[in-house]
Amino acid sequence: MSITSSLANFLRPCSDFRISCGDPVAVRHAMAIITDIATRDPNSVAMALGKHIEHGGALHDILRLHDVLARLCLARLCYVLCRARALDERPGIKFQFTSLLYQLLLDPSDRVCFEAMFCILGKFDNTERTEERAAGWIRLTREVLKLPEAPSVTLKDASVKLNREKRASKAKHPQPLMKLVIRRLESSFRSFSRPVLHAAARVVQEMGKSRAAAYALGVQVDEAMQLHSSENDDPPDSQLMGSSKSAESHKTLFPSTGPGGIDTIASLLASLLEVVRTTVACECVYVRAMVIKALIWMQNPHESFEELGSIIASELSDPAWPSTQLNDILLTLHARFKATPDMAVTLLEIARIFATKVPGKIDADVLQLLWKTCLAGAGPEGKHTALEAVTIVLDLPPPQPGSRLGLVSVDRVSASDPKSALALQRLVQAAVWFLGENANYAASEYAWESATPPATALMMLDADKMVAAASSRNPTLAGALTRLQRCAFSGSWEVRIVAAQALMTIAIRSGEPYRLQIYEFLHALSLGGVQSQFSQSHFSNGEDQGASGTGIGSLINSMLKVLDEMYRAQDDLIRDMRNHDNNNQEWTDEELKKLYENHEKLLDLASLFCFVPRAKYLPLGPTSAKLIDIYRNRHNIGASTGLNDPAVATGISDLVYESKAAHMEPETIDPELAMAWAAGLDDDLLGTNAPALKKVNEFLAGAGIEAPDIEEEDESLMSRPSVVYDDLWAKSFLETDEPEEDDGRSSGTSSPESTGSVETSISSHFGGLGYPSLFSSRPSGYGVSQNWENKSGNDATRFSNASSTFEAADYPVREETPPPPSYASAVLGRFDTFENPLAGSGAQSFGSQEEDRSSQNPQSGKALYDFTAGGDDELSLTAGEEVEIDDEVDGWYYVKKKRPGRDGRMAGLVPVLYISSSS
Amino acid sequence: MILAVLFTNTEGNILVERFHGVPSEERLHWRSFLVKLGAENLKGTKNEELLVASHKSVFVVYTMLGDVCIYVIGKDEYDELALAEVIFVITSSVKDVCGKPPSERLFLDHYGKICLCLDEIIWKGMLENTDKDRIRRLIRLKAPADI
Repeated sequence: MSITSSLANFLRPCSDFRISCGDPVAVRHAMAIITDIATRDPNSVAMALGKHIEHGGALHDILRLHDVLARLCLARLCYVLCRARALDERPGIKFQFTSLLYQLLLDPSDRVCFEAMFCILGKFDNTERTEERAAGWIRLTREVLKLPEAPSVTLKDASVKLNREKRASKAKHPQPLMKLVIRRLESSFRSFSRPVLHAAARVVQEMGKSRAAAYALGVQVDEAMQLHSSENDDPPDSQLMGSSKSAESHKTLFPSTGPGGIDTIASLLASLLEVVRTTVACECVYVRAMVIKALIWMQNPHESFEELGSIIASELSDPAWPSTQLNDILLTLHARFKATPDMAVTLLEIARIFATKVPGKIDADVLQLLWKTCLAGAGPEGKHTALEAVTIVLDLPPPQPGSRLGLVSVDRVSASDPKSALALQRLVQAAVWFLGENANYAASEYAWESATPPATALMMLDADKMVAAASSRNPTLAGALTRLQRCAFSGSWEVRIVAAQALMTIAIRSGEPYRLQIYEFLHALSLGGVQSQFSQSHFSNGEDQGASGTGIGSLINSMLKVLDEMYRAQDDLIRDMRNHDNNNQEWTDEELKKLYENHEKLLDLASLFCFVPRAKYLPLGPTSAKLIDIYRNRHNIGASTGLNDPAVATGISDLVYESKAAHMEPETIDPELAMAWAAGLDDDLLGTNAPALKKVNEFLAGAGIEAPDIEEEDESLMSRPSVVYDDLWAKSFLETDEPEEDDGRSSGTSSPESTGSVETSISSHFGGLGYPSLFSSRPSGYGVSQNWENKSGNDATRFSNASSTFEAADYPVREETPPPPSYASAVLGRFDTFENPLAGSGAQSFGSQEEDRSSQNPQSGKALYDFTAGGDDELSLTAGEEVEIDDEVDGWYYVKKKRPGRDGRMAGLVPVLYISSSS
Repeated sequence: MILAVLFTNTEGNILVERFHGVPSEERLHWRSFLVKLGAENLKGTKNEELLVASHKSVFVVYTMLGDVCIYVIGKDEYDELALAEVIFVITSSVKDVCGKPPSERLFLDHYGKICLCLDEIIWKGMLENTDKDRIRRLIRLKAPADI
């Protein structure tokens, strides 16, 4: 504090000088510096500026200065000082700065005026504080302007004169601030300049944010209230403190007379929004995107969203929209939801329009994020609606190739080209997966909370009766099951696999009769021939349906095996219990132990398919609870020890790399299938990344395990990729001839690229934290996803988010980047070289001569040029740096530095040509 | 921060570029992004009509002046309107130097002067001089006493 205040003292003379001197550039910089100091030490700056703020003072001269940025800085300075808590006991000074800020609203430059509006709305820097935004909204709606008489200074130019006249005329009649702002915005929307339109839409968006913040804090601003010109003495912040009380008093004082020639906030907003809507006609998509975002933010939970919906629907028919913009709007929906959770249903409806209209352009991950947040925040009664919105995606008919009819209704899918057809399929996969993971949560149906004892369910073996019972008891879950069942035989192969997995997840998580219903279904599916029975209108996409008719028999068999075992164990348990009861016999410790081991084994098996809370989950049925408790108590096994179980603590996928995986693997993976995947992985060398393959990998690795009821833990579980890629890579690199290598790769069906599933790919789209390159196309993996939530809110890093999403816009150039082409291909290439060094090296251009010596003993080298790492495994070098060459692969050296570089890395890959080796 | 200023001809070849605080590996992406943006949108626009693009807090304002396309990228305090201000200063001094909206040939003839102007207008990513006459005086390359 003392440093800044002395700095302020030091700067005072020179800024005094500059403020009064005529050089606009100098004044601008002086204002910027003062503003910067003011954020740290408002008190001393306000004292120092004491005499300048008075009428005719230097700060008022800036109003007439012909420099936009200087006036801009003035606006920010005024805002900083008039909201400073340190100046609370000096209302006089605060008032002077506030009135200066309001004068800036009349500035001829849109830029300055909009900045003043931002300040009034409480958007100062990139930190979003709800209280401040809410106070901004109150300030905007309550404040009445009484601008002081214009000081008598000689006028310099016409615009200032105009400004002055305007101000003088305003000064006569006190004006509500709201009216002033809205009139100004409306006139800006009539401008022809696109930047002005864009900026005005942005102001409206910020206005919506402030309004949402006020709404979230429960501040009631009666929008039907007549704007009155009477004096309002309360400063806005103190109103916020007693907000509800003052709102009450306002309501009673000014009963809503409704619109009738008199301005109310509602009528002003309505006329503004009308103007905003007409702006959608602008040619530029960026302006339109901003307008739509503004409309989304201005949308209130109680208002009908039909108008907004129809605007968006008609907008999306325009093929000019780039996918980055669409995803950005989806993220806006997400942010809007976070601000006002009541709007979940509205927002999901809007998201549905996106999914149906432009399935090819939106990112399934972004949509999934939106679904998930809405589902979690929708509250008990909204859950069903939320899930319905998701399932609508599944009801989309598969795109008919070649049909390019005009799109009339909202529900028609536009996926005429192969690319968007593929994207639609990905979307459907995402929806299916989402449904499987979250159906139980949405339906509040859990096996461990189920009321029905298993025995009752076994009595209803008649399938029809079972379905009827199921749907009457829980329509949400029954609806989800029906849809998944349809997907399990009528989608494409990839969708069927995900659907089967989703069904299995629901089977494990829900109680009877749902489990039995799914069991029946899966059983029928594995036997084949189920299609004709279930669907007459089966859409064939020309794929070979396989012997079982679905092509997923091998997967279903392992699921059935687990379910079989669970049912068998339940039967055994019931029989044993009956025996014990009949004979009036106590359970011996031996028997209990057997029971408990069985319980644990089944838990492990179930955990391989999806997440279940080990402490609560009872694979042997609710009746086993008592016996297991007895055993646990007797042997001091805490139920919570289950949390230490690797399957729970680290996610199932980690299990794949542990000993258990060794015997589970053959069960889950058909060897032939594995061969096919291995072949597919080799295809990856060509740089293609077939989504189908990725999906299978994801699926087999058990990605996306999630417990819907424990959100927080669940985030951390999900975001952990199954294997730290660097570790695997480093290990394979250093111990090249390790025999497990091959193993690691074929079980690399759980390729780390894909296991991070949703989170990783999202983070790769939106930029990793602290990742140097904004444009890198690599998923930076690990840990990034946790930060993502925070980051999206944190605007300080907005730039990195922004530009890396630009990257998502599919540059044709990306292939030309100097670092190696694609992660998967590069790495796999290296693997190949290790496995068969003779065959591998022959094909490489540089590698072959140096291979022999370089692989033996480390040699030293010198960096010829600067090199900037393009990825996590690469190493930055400065020219002339001494390095030790460890190994050489495919035109890349793995080198070690003598001391860590600026990024703290010691070792990594550099291109061979950047190093001169001195052997 | 003004992240970049870029001049291209109508074919998308870059004539002048200035980057501020953009890592070298990203520049290629910016170049291609801007050229693509211009190719899609600048056809048939009027002289000096401002076009805009944005993502989060990064803004792009671009325009066509004669045969030359001008792009300015900014973030944070340099939003679309501030960039409009910047691009206005740039176009007015380019016109001042060339005497009229330049053809590519004319632009290249005055290449040096235009670069000098640019350096006076944008300094380390900040808008510096905005006054046309002042800029003209600053690029006369006379001894400082004369200014």
